[in-house]
Amino acid sequence: MDHNSNGGGSHQSGHTNNQRRRHNQSQKPDGPKREAILDLNKYTEKKIRVKFIGGRQIIGELKGFDQLMNLVLKNVEETLRDPEDDHVLTKEKRNYDLVVVRGPSLLTISPLDGSGEIENPFAQSTE
Amino acid sequence: MLPLYLLTSAKNQPILVELKNGETLNGELVNCDSWMNLTLNNVVQVSENGTNFLKLPECYVRGNHIKYMRLPEELMDYAKEQTLLNLEQRNRNQKRRTGGNFNNNRRNYNNQGNRNGGHNYRRNNNNNNK
Repeated sequence: MDHNSNGGGSHQSGHTNNQRRRHNQSQKPDGPKREAILDLNKYTEKKIRVKFIGGRQIIGELKGFDQLMNLVLKNVEETLRDPEDDHVLTKEKRNYDLVVVRGPSLLTISPLDGSGEIENPFAQSTE
Repeated sequence: MLPLYLLTSAKNQPILVELKNGETLNGELVNCDSWMNLTLNNVVQVSENGTNFLKLPECYVRGNHIKYMRLPEELMDYAKEQTLLNLEQRNRNQKRRTGGNFNNNRRNYNNQGNRNGGHNYRRNNNNNNK
């Protein structure tokens, strides 16, 4: 009897521990997250702009991705840079069919939809 | 005040991020993780030479490649408030929990076994808090 209740007790405490951990994660408003902060599902089959560490920039349709943010892109178009100045993008493009992008070399990801060049929005504030 | 905690309390507020390549991103912080990767909303991306301005509805940024960020000045006070509130909340939760059934059982069991229940009880509670 005693032994039995002991076993039950330890099981229960383990359960509450698990619960608490889950509870904490959802409830903790401060502290940085450990799970993914970007849901790439919403970008699947959509065009996204991807910048790489080192300065390359591509646009492509997202076909797949994984936990490490490796991406599979289709119909990819790389915006080429000025050979003299790496920071300047040219009008020149280069096309690829299917590309696997390595997650660790990603810099930024943004959807192409709704993005575009604009006038300097800080013009008044700098006056 | 830890940097990442300060950053997390900047959620939904406009921040400026400068990347190592000199580009800057102005936008509302949506989320950040423990690697300082960020998601931003309504971003204005300014090129490294400050001449091109790109509007992006959303943007994900690698924390690895961030040079620095500028946060709203009032954030420090707000973050302090939040941590205090959080502590309070946690204490309250703990009280509720120790009043609950599970822990009561456990405590009794431990007390019986060890006979110096006070110490053991406290240690147990500390463990619970982690």
